[in-house]
Formats: sequence, structure tokens, C-alpha cells
Amino acid sequence: MRAPAPRYAANDGVIEHAAAALGDLLVEASDLVGEVSLTVPRERLVDVMTRLRDTPGLEYQQLMEIAGVDYPSRPERFDVVYCLLSLTRNHRIRVRVTTDEEQPVPSVTGIWPVAGWLEREVYDMYGVLFSGNADLRRILTDYGFRGHPFRKDFPLSGYVEMRYSEEEKRVVYQPVSLAQDFRNFDFMSPWEGAEYVLPGDEKAPTPAPAATPPTPKTAEPSTNVAAQPQAKGAQSPVTADQLRKADAEAAEKAKADVDKPKVSEDTGDTGAGKPHPDDGPAPADPDVVPTKGEGQNQ
Amino acid sequence: MSEFLDELEGRTDAADPTSGDAEIQNYTINFGPQHPAAHGVLRLVLELDGEIIERIDPHVGLLHRGTEKLIEYKTYQQALPYFDRLDYCSPMCMEHSYVLAVEKLLDLEVPLRAQYLRVFFAELTRIMNHMLNLGSHVMDVGAMTPNLWLFEIREDCMGFYERASGARMHANYFRVGGVHQDVPLKLLTDISDWLDTRLPRLFEDAISLVAENRIFKQRNVDIAIVSRDDAIRWGFSGPMIRGAGIPWDIRKSQPYDVYDRMEFDVPVGTRGDCYDRFMVRVEEVRQSARIMKQCLAEMPEGPVMTTDRKVGPPKRGEMKRSMEALIHHFKLYTEGYHVPAGEVYVATESPKGEFGVYLVSDGTNKPYRCKIRPTAFSHLQAMDFMSRGHMLADTTAILGALDIVFGECDR
Amino acid sequence: MGVDLDAAPQKPLGGSISLDRAPAPGTLPDQGFFNDLNGELNDKGFLVTSTEELFQWARTGSLWWMTFGLACCAVEMIHVNMPRYDLERFGAAPRASPRQSDVMIVAGTLCNKMAPALRRVYDQMSEPKYVISMGSCANGGGYYHYSYSVVRGCDRVVPVDIYVPGCPPTAEALLYGIMQLQRKIRRIGTVER
Repeated sequence: MRAPAPRYAANDGVIEHAAAALGDLLVEASDLVGEVSLTVPRERLVDVMTRLRDTPGLEYQQLMEIAGVDYPSRPERFDVVYCLLSLTRNHRIRVRVTTDEEQPVPSVTGIWPVAGWLEREVYDMYGVLFSGNADLRRILTDYGFRGHPFRKDFPLSGYVEMRYSEEEKRVVYQPVSLAQDFRNFDFMSPWEGAEYVLPGDEKAPTPAPAATPPTPKTAEPSTNVAAQPQAKGAQSPVTADQLRKADAEAAEKAKADVDKPKVSEDTGDTGAGKPHPDDGPAPADPDVVPTKGEGQNQ
Repeated sequence: MSEFLDELEGRTDAADPTSGDAEIQNYTINFGPQHPAAHGVLRLVLELDGEIIERIDPHVGLLHRGTEKLIEYKTYQQALPYFDRLDYCSPMCMEHSYVLAVEKLLDLEVPLRAQYLRVFFAELTRIMNHMLNLGSHVMDVGAMTPNLWLFEIREDCMGFYERASGARMHANYFRVGGVHQDVPLKLLTDISDWLDTRLPRLFEDAISLVAENRIFKQRNVDIAIVSRDDAIRWGFSGPMIRGAGIPWDIRKSQPYDVYDRMEFDVPVGTRGDCYDRFMVRVEEVRQSARIMKQCLAEMPEGPVMTTDRKVGPPKRGEMKRSMEALIHHFKLYTEGYHVPAGEVYVATESPKGEFGVYLVSDGTNKPYRCKIRPTAFSHLQAMDFMSRGHMLADTTAILGALDIVFGECDR
Repeated sequence: MGVDLDAAPQKPLGGSISLDRAPAPGTLPDQGFFNDLNGELNDKGFLVTSTEELFQWARTGSLWWMTFGLACCAVEMIHVNMPRYDLERFGAAPRASPRQSDVMIVAGTLCNKMAPALRRVYDQMSEPKYVISMGSCANGGGYYHYSYSVVRGCDRVVPVDIYVPGCPPTAEALLYGIMQLQRKIRRIGTVER
């Protein structure tokens, strides 16, 4: 790892150990970007967590964080990610379950009481239900808030805004009206498949339907502009993990190159023709008369 | 007289209850959101039995600004200043987690001088944060003077911030790939002088007023004792878990940047009460000064920003001469860099505890999800069990020792 | 003849005192003014001024402000009170109770959940009351303008007298804002006729 991120104990053997401890409870395990992530069935979450905490050699004593992630295109759209920390083994692990709006996730408050508020937050922000959490109220949003703001289909500016009403002598909610819309730039170039019509293009005659290539994604003309997914630039083709592995290989190779012993008089081996790394600047050529900074013709 | 004797011997008629038999109801009071000791906008609903706290229900979210949602709509570079504004008492430490997370996804190498500068300013930030917390803690339990002294140190720190980054508080100084600008040599020598003279003088003077003070001890010793097991189960971190007697410090056990080259001690409490937490922070200030001195002694010369032109912006002078540099600059400050898809959870030791960033990238120039792990969330939640059975007046001491800032708690 | 407390003395002694510029550090206060005042007091035993000027003088000289920190700007607000900037030399002291304070400094992002509380505190303050909006979040939402949970400017909830720009404004900027408020109070008569 080249980045100076926190360096904890190595991931070697953690997945095997977890697989042995969890047995069929482990749906999927991955070791990407140097972090171990386990996917487990939702219904058996409490069992999994108890084993992860109590099995010697795993010992994840602390629950640091519960994060919700929303993938609206999936049938079970929400990820609930539990970040665990082992103080004794100095290791971190992530446990992931998926769910949707209705199916509750078993609460882990029985194992870690800290989960109470963390689950409340995920419920507040995503609407994920937790069965067994005795106090599943909203936590961060306003009293009487409607909706779950971190869902991808919730508009950034929400639906209501607040002002003081002189008539009612109290603060009231009213529909949101922005003086200036949120500026959202689209960095897709038109030939990369941007989902908008360039200004002026709408005047061009629409080609016959038969001539149109089948587009996988058609932009639905939506009335609610704010609710549209945000514009983003093109994706980079490699994932972070591929990049990391490629970098590690390159570093390995570079290291191997340096350490390679000389076995022949071949120029590739001796490095003939290359400047020595310790060389200073090139020696001055006696034939070249340095000018005094006044040009060649002086 | 006979009635009195009856009463004493418990022979009173049940139909005629005396004061001891009467039903006394607990009453509920509201604390905050506007209260000087609430450290911001905390609202506590306290259920009291007389003056004894039976239950506390903290209401948070009064400063919920939707930071995580806003970050999803900004490029990685534009999202960075939001981190300054999370825990506004220790801005640069918040940036630290974020830049480390993005660098981990990019697998980006950071120049050594930049790593030193980051550690250096993170420790300056730690001093700054603890000045505010220690000062307000002693003020909450009734002492005024140390706070005035400690804020003078804080004012110095803010001056250093301004000289390094141009801003007194929201520095936006740590960048992905390094730091924004190199610091002038005079700033480093000035900080070095400050560490040797002004900081110890002001700080030790101020602390000597309270550390062994009888009143201060009466207000803090044996208040809100947290056992080791409780600290683990409630997800404590930072001075809270160290105060409970567990020597856990991410700087030590999971070193990032150049913390593995630094020599420092991890202070640990023995009883796990408010006084221990206070003293852990006091000692951390001294250790931070120690780390800063090591940084100053060891800091190498060199670049402070990665030379990867797809991430680090080119220098202004370069832009005037090179077309390519100009294009890079334009692309970086409009579209930003694309972070390869993946997810990481990176936690650093912020002055308040483990401050983590769970970053999900989908390969575009904006984060798909950026979950911020605030330290205050788990600590404040534990306040209920910590204050149970204590007096109402202890609430401020407990709250002061928790070290809570709402920008970070509510996000 | 009334003595104008704000105006310059009639006869500047020595003629060296410039009213435009601040005197050099170490300059003694203008002795002529005090001599005149003392002379009049000794002579007549009382001073005459208009009530309006007296009220304004009192109001500007004792701006007690609400300790009402919301977010980041609150830290700068505390710094203004600390020894380096020492706001109290302007007579502005922090008060924890809205009933006793004259000015509310809205320091930080005002969120939807907090807005009712802010309005209630404002309603509890006694007249005359002033509001300083501190920082870009309070001025108009600032960095959080487009968020679903932020009031886009505290002037949607309370009437604001002075806006202090910055994110956060430096302690000096807030100090300047308070001085601007004093000027505003002096300029605007508040006595009903």
C-alpha cells in the first residue's frame, strides 16, 4: 500500500478464519483495497455478530459504525454496513447485509448497546427497519420530518423549507422555492452518452425510429428536476482494488529490477548507456562558448 | 405525642398517610438547546428524582446540516471543506481522515514532507481542541481563570493556522496528495519557539490552578465512572477509552502518515472518571508538543504535493508556461479527479476519538456515499448510563468530559 | 446648555487632537473634555442632555448579548470575548438569559430543528432587541444553502440588523459588526414621541 492510510494488522487468513467460524452463514467474503468485507444473511445477523465477537482469533469487540448505502437499482436496495474493530488483534472488518424498505434487519443492540443510536440514524436516513431496537425514533432530522433524506431519490434541497409566519406567530414549513437552482454540471461529453439534448439539437429533425440505435438507458422526461439523479463524470475504468494490485505489482517489479544480479555483459544487465543515478550535471562542452545572456549574435 | 410515637413505630393508619408514604413523582426537565453549558445545541430531557438523575434522553440533530448528502453532490475536492466544518474545534484532524480515505482509494503516494506537515498540524490541532475542551470543562464546573489562559494558547494556534493556510479556523489545508502549500521557514521556527516557551508557560500555569484544586476534584473525581467493559461495549474511543484504562490509540496501533516514526506516550486513566478523562487530555497536550518537536527536527525538504498531475494541481508558475499544466489545472478544478470504484473505511485518531470516513466510490468524480463516523455519537449516547444516579449539577461535568461538538455529532 | 456626550469638546486643547484618526498609542485622553465636564458639574451640580442621547449612550455602552452559539462561528464568538480581543471593553458582556440581553448573535448554521428554539429565544428577549447574523450560514445558508435541513438565512426567522460576512468571520470582523450595531443604534432614534 503506497497511500499513508492507517496500517493495521494484515488481512492474511482472516477470511478463512471467519469462514470457519461462520460456516454457511457467510454468503460472500472479499478482500478489496486492503479491507476485508463479509456479506452475511440478514436474518442471522445477530448470530454472526456474536460469533465474530466471541470466537478466539476473531475477537471483534467493538462496533464502531453502522452505515447505510442506497443502491436504488437493486431489488434489495439498501446495504447496511457494520464496521467492527478488534482491539486485541488490531484489525478492522466490515459486515454487510442487504435489505429493502420493508424487511427489518435484526438489531444488534443486545450485543453492543452503542448500536441503538447508530441504528436509529440508519432508520432516520434510509428508512431501514430494525427489529428489536426498542427506541427506533428519528434522531437527526426535525421533529415530524417526512421522508428519508439520504435515499438517492430524495432531492438534495428536500420538499419543504422553514420561515417565520407573522400571521401565525410561529415558524412554519412551506414548499421549497430556491432563488437559484443548484448548479449541477455534467462532465459527460456528448459522444460519451450524455443523457441530455444539447441546446439547438432539439430543432434538428428526429431520425426515424428504425435508425435509432437501441439505447440502454433512456432519459425519462421527469417533472421533478431536483429528484433526478445527480450528474457525474465518466467512471474511471479500473477499480480501486485493481489499481492497488497493479501498483503493488509495479513496485514489486521495480524492486526486483534493482535487486537483479548481473549475470551477463548484456547491456540490459549492465545498464550501459544509461546515466549513472549518482551523476551530477553533464560536464561543460569546451566547444560551446557561453553567451552572456545577450543572444547568439552579440 | 401518641400520634408521633405511632408514626415512629409504623402503626399509622394507612388511610392517613404521612409525608413518608405520599407518592412522589419524578419530574422531567428540559436542558437546552440554548444553554451555555450545552456546548452548542444539545437538548437533554432529564428525568429527575429530586436532584438525582434517573434517566437522560439526549435529543441531537439540532445542527443536522445534511453534510453527507451534500458531499454526494460535490466533487472530491469540493467536499473537503465540509470536513473542516464538522468538528469546528479541530478542523484539520477532520480533513485528515478524508484525505487518507481518498488517497487509499487512489493508492496515491504522498511526499514525505507533506506527511510530516500533516502530522505536525494535526498535533497543533489537537492542542487547539484540548484548549477549548479543557477550558470549557473547568468553566462548566465553576472556574473562570484557566479558560482565559487556555484561550490565549488557542488564539496563538489560530494565528499559526492563518499563517499556514490563510484561514483562522477552516483551513482546508490538507489536500488529497499532500498539503495545499508549503509553510514558510519562519512559521516553523516561530512555532518551535512557541512550543519551548509560551505554550508550557501558559498551559502549565493554567492547569496548575485546577489539577490539584480541591473544588475541581470534588466536582470530577468519581463522577461517571466507566469500566473497561462498558467502554468497549459503548464504542468509546480516544480520551474516553483511554480514560477508562485501555491503552488504545490509533496513532500508535494503526499508524498513518509518519506517526510510526514519532515517539510519544499514551496516557491512560486508572479510575475511568471525569477527572481521569480531564487529565488524559492534559497529558495529551504535552505529548502533542513532543510530537511536534520531533516533526520539526526530522522534517525533510521536498515537495508537499504529489507529482501525479491527475490529482495534484500544477504550480501557478508552471501554468503560465506549460499548456499541459493549464489543461490539468482546468480539469482538476472543474471536473476534479476520478476516484476508482471501491469502498474503504479509514479512521484516524482525532482529538475526540476515532473519527472515521466510510467512503464508497463508483468510479466517478463524486463520492457515491460518504458516511462520517462521529466520535460524539457513541459518547453522547453513553451519557444516559454514565449520569444515572448522579446529581443534576454533575451533568455539566460529565458533558464537559465527554468533549462533544455538535457540528460533528449531527453532521 | 446641554453637554453632547458624543460630540467633540468645544475647545480642543493644544489643537493637536485629530478627530478622524485614532490617537497614537500612549496618548492621554483629551483632558480638555473632562475639564469642561468637571467644571460644569462643579459649577452647577448637574449635567443637561437630551434623554434620547442619554438612552443611546446607555444602550450602545451596554450591549449584553445572548450566548447563543449554533455552530462553527460560535468558536469565533467565544474568541471575541477572550483576552485577546476583549469585547467587554465595549460594554458587551455575555448573558445566558434572553430576558436580560439586548442583542442576539446568531453564530452558525440555523437548522430547521433549531429554528423554533431560536425564534422562541428571540421572542423572550426584551425590547429594544437587536440581531447580528454572523457568518455566511446565518446570512443566507452559505455552504449549506441547498441542504434539505437548513434555513437559508436566519432572516427568514428573525429580523436581522447587522450581517457579518465570512466563514467564519474572524473575531475582528465580529468586533467590527458590533461597532456597526452601535453606530446603528446611535443613528436610529428609538424613543417614541
